[in-house]
Amino acid sequence: MVDRYSFSLTTFSPQGKLVQIEHALAAVNQGITSVGIKATNGIVIATEKKTPSPLVDISSFDKVSRVCDSIGVVYSGMGPDARLLVNEARKAAQKYRRVYAQDPPLPILVKDVAAVMQEYTQSGGVRPFGVSLLIAGYDHHGPALYQVDPSGAFFPWKATAIGKNMISARTFLEKRYSPRLEIEDAVHTAILTLKEGFEGVMDEKNIEIGVAQMQEGMSRTGEKVQEVIFRVLTPLEVRDYLANLS
Amino acid sequence: MKAPRATSTGTTIVGCIYDGGLVLGADTRATEGPIVADKNCEKIHYLAPNMYCCGAGTAADTEFTTALISSNLELHRLSTGRDARVVTAMTMLKQMLFKYQGHIGAALVLGGYDVNGPQLYTIAPHGSTDKLPYVTMGSGSMAAMAIFESRWKKGMTREQAVELVKDAIESGVFNDLGSGSNVDVCVITKSKVDYLRNYRKPNEREPKEQSYKFKRGTTAVLTTEITSLVDIETEPSNAGASEGRA
Amino acid sequence: MEYNGSAVMAMKGDGCVAIAADRRFGVQALTLGTEFQKIFQMNKYTFVGLAGLASDVITLSDQLRYKVKMYELREERPISPETFAHLASSSLYEKRFGPWFVEPIIAGLDPKTGEPFIASTDLIGCINFAKDFVVSGTANSQMYGMCESLWEPNLGPEDLFETISQAMLNAIDRDCIAGWGAVVHVITKDKIVTKHLKGRMD
Repeated sequence: MVDRYSFSLTTFSPQGKLVQIEHALAAVNQGITSVGIKATNGIVIATEKKTPSPLVDISSFDKVSRVCDSIGVVYSGMGPDARLLVNEARKAAQKYRRVYAQDPPLPILVKDVAAVMQEYTQSGGVRPFGVSLLIAGYDHHGPALYQVDPSGAFFPWKATAIGKNMISARTFLEKRYSPRLEIEDAVHTAILTLKEGFEGVMDEKNIEIGVAQMQEGMSRTGEKVQEVIFRVLTPLEVRDYLANLS
Repeated sequence: MKAPRATSTGTTIVGCIYDGGLVLGADTRATEGPIVADKNCEKIHYLAPNMYCCGAGTAADTEFTTALISSNLELHRLSTGRDARVVTAMTMLKQMLFKYQGHIGAALVLGGYDVNGPQLYTIAPHGSTDKLPYVTMGSGSMAAMAIFESRWKKGMTREQAVELVKDAIESGVFNDLGSGSNVDVCVITKSKVDYLRNYRKPNEREPKEQSYKFKRGTTAVLTTEITSLVDIETEPSNAGASEGRA
Repeated sequence: MEYNGSAVMAMKGDGCVAIAADRRFGVQALTLGTEFQKIFQMNKYTFVGLAGLASDVITLSDQLRYKVKMYELREERPISPETFAHLASSSLYEKRFGPWFVEPIIAGLDPKTGEPFIASTDLIGCINFAKDFVVSGTANSQMYGMCESLWEPNLGPEDLFETISQAMLNAIDRDCIAGWGAVVHVITKDKIVTKHLKGRMD
């Protein structure tokens, strides 16, 4: 009788809570830690790449994903759920591109993804997503970082962490974060934050880092333009960052 | 009732494979019946980082067909994690055009570089395709093909191929009424694209010798209305106070 | 196009753009009105001129305004004329096989940089980005001729007004189903000047 409200997703408990959504958040809090940090000239997101067994081929999957040229995402929680959301995010980005011939601004994409997650808290026959996302890109003011939760709620951050070591990582970031941080330092801080709760030895294969930065690029018709590019760092680059730390 | 005429691209578009890459070429005239609607339009469209596509026929159709396939190719690329193949793009284009039974008036020259090296296709509006070492399309296709048939040879260098493509387009520009203005060239090699917009400008307009400026007040005006767009920014009332405290 | 008759054009100047249209509303040879609106303000700096079937001009202008307002509420920023051109273009192509009988002209200043922008599209949304002038409507060949000869680079707002006005008036005098007065908007960073021109009424 105590758990009368814990199975129907769309029924509020007398305390005014949707317990399934809280359970989803619990799933996220068991997930592998991810961090995101805003710098003056870019933004970084990073996560651990942990596997249940050393026999798993770790190079066969990615946890930091590109959504479109200027936006990237990382998750904590259930991998399969995240894949679906990344797919939806990519589709939303392309849908926007087909109308306006440009990448969506970050807040618009975040709202699109959040709308998908919200839908899964109010529809029949489904369960909420067991993931929180960190979405990195640029808005009208510059680099921006958003967190999206299973409820569909989203928040902008200067720096944050989600997943298992969220609390200690956030405490760490509160001490280390400065609004004058540049991207190189932000990457270092991100790695240090992950290191806080890291089990085993960190190397270029068991962490993943993505960075969005304004840079000079080539437009599709060969002109030089300033554009925001999100890219996942190669294992070689990650190794350099790790080497610089010690 | 007579419908307005859609913009079409009379057009000369060509492509040519050489050792180690391929060259696409296009003129830059867009027409509306007998009128030149755009003297310097772009007919070489972006499909993917390793693929570009020249379009002839109904201008809007070539624009939107290539944009749609480009969008789908990006999703394909993101989900497979590697560059799309040229055959994939070709198949997507031909299936779409066949589905519309020729009502989408797009005649395309598709060129790209993938794991199988440089490849060149033509795609007709009804969905039929050809794979050849050198191709031409559009109303200037005969003029351009005459150049290819008399001068194309096996194993050309990049410079020779660019020169041949330029001459083929110029042949269309000068001998076909539907083609004109400048020559656009796009060279695709392994992991690099050189988009040479207005590679040649054989029809530059002389600057005007005289000015036809009218004396101010020439035009008889019935009414004048001026909408001022100056933003009036009011300082927040407590701004001075907080300054004082600091 | 020939059912109602129309003439719309836009020109780029130095830090300004101008957009002009005739004011006739008629059905083939019969003139029914001389105060028909063909240019619509989408936001502070973006204007669209619609030449073509009068009923579609009204309906499409309303629909575009709706889309712009929704965009600006969603994105919390004004739409730039370039983005608006893409929005108009994809809206037109949506009706690829049953199109709106209109040929839009877009003119405006970028709300951030103040950069002048003009473009035209055909009835199914093929955009023509021009650096000098764009024209559309039944008087298009006359307008092309006038613009080619009168337009010159770097005209200031006052000179641009005279140039576009003379180009427009003289073009519509050679078109039976366009004319009956004209309206010109000159858009600069700090003001919009709207003038109704005296034209032939025959």
